Amino acid sequence: MSMSQEVVRTANKAKSEPASSSMTRFHEQSHFWGRLTILLVMIASVGLPMYLSFVLGAHPGWGAIFAGLLGYAAFIGVLWIVEPVTYFPILGIGGTYIAFLSGNIANLCVPCSSAAQKAVGAELGTQKAEIAGVLGIALASLTNTIVIILTVLGGTFIVNLIPESIQASFVFVLPAIFGAVLGQFAFSKPKYGVMAVLLGIGVFFSPIPSLIKIASCVAISIAVIYNVEKAKDKKAHG
Amino acid sequence: MPGNVMNIASSNIVWIVAFFVMGVVIFQAIMFMNIAKKAAPDAGLTPTEVSRAIRTGFISSLGPSFGIAIVIVSLIALLGPPITMMRIGIIGSAATETAAAHIGAKAFGVELGGAGFNEKAFATVVWTMCLGGMGWLLVTFLFTKSLGKAEKAIRRKNPKAVASISLAAMLGAFGYLASEQMLKGLGFFFAGIASLGIMIVCMSIAEKKNISWLREWSLGISMVCGMIVGTMVIALT
Repeated sequence: MSMSQEVVRTANKAKSEPASSSMTRFHEQSHFWGRLTILLVMIASVGLPMYLSFVLGAHPGWGAIFAGLLGYAAFIGVLWIVEPVTYFPILGIGGTYIAFLSGNIANLCVPCSSAAQKAVGAELGTQKAEIAGVLGIALASLTNTIVIILTVLGGTFIVNLIPESIQASFVFVLPAIFGAVLGQFAFSKPKYGVMAVLLGIGVFFSPIPSLIKIASCVAISIAVIYNVEKAKDKKAHG
Repeated sequence: MPGNVMNIASSNIVWIVAFFVMGVVIFQAIMFMNIAKKAAPDAGLTPTEVSRAIRTGFISSLGPSFGIAIVIVSLIALLGPPITMMRIGIIGSAATETAAAHIGAKAFGVELGGAGFNEKAFATVVWTMCLGGMGWLLVTFLFTKSLGKAEKAIRRKNPKAVASISLAAMLGAFGYLASEQMLKGLGFFFAGIASLGIMIVCMSIAEKKNISWLREWSLGISMVCGMIVGTMVIALT
């Protein structure tokens, strides 16, 4: 029931964007397929160790399992919550489900989403950007999965197809990806591009715990840009 | 890894589970592609733009995917092929999973692949990686709907805010990630700068002359140029 109300409300409200009943439908389908696929993988993630423990009889004892999980959670557990919340404004609903199932969010999913949005000239935060981003991420997930399967099946053979000198250059793949993504914004929003780098360097050298550095940087830049845009709006209208 | 442990690590059931997981990831990507295509016309995307977005996603993912593949090879020796495939195929990154494997082995009281690394130690490692990686899945499963509702509420009250929040989130995340990488060393610094510069050049040319294929290739081109520059800087110093 609430759904149909929402459709009416968004339809009334939407002046700059087309009526969004099909977007509502897209979000519903995203939740359904996103949750179903994640649920299936969660079942497999419990099923596999259960099989090792209780079918093959290699049960290490709950003490060891608990110690392992505790060690893991202490090392990185805070990211379980921080990362989905941090990346949600960038990825949107569909993008979040894909990115957090297939992993490699910062080095693969977000850059591919952003590149797809730029390729169709979509402004961030619009429906057009959301759909273009999902298409970009879906292809990234698909490509990555196929490359992983081929690498595991072909083992070192596939990787050896790439000459060693080129393999060595892959240590620079991360600064190259992140630099390029910033370049996209430095081109269309030079002031914000510079601000992002300065803020990033500031947070890097600050005493903020390293696990929440990205989240802090995101929170600070949301606060800054939101207020700058609001001030700009006031100026334009007043 | 001792032979008897490798036997378990590469047993049929483990392969089946690993392929099941990869199958789900592939199924999900195809499903989302389909529902996004259906919503595309109302979101203001023409069929040409849909295929442009898809092509761009594919071109842009090649570089990072091969980067990930190179790291995988080292993990296969530690964990066996199917577990490596399953763990890297879903949320985990090579660095996280390696750390998780070490933590799991330590929790059992042995070193990863060292003396005493038996079936039970291997099972502890798998438990640690699988349950640890599930944290993200569980949070996404439970809370994406609430996050979506919060976004909708903001959009209703202030449609412009969503645009500036997503722009700010993007800039904040990548401002930090790029700084962190570029401060790692000279080669990293110049790889990042070169890639940033080439991207600006690509975008300006594409904009001025309205070349759409250049927009599709811009991330790939910038990435390769950045990697070449980084390698050259290291070779020269």
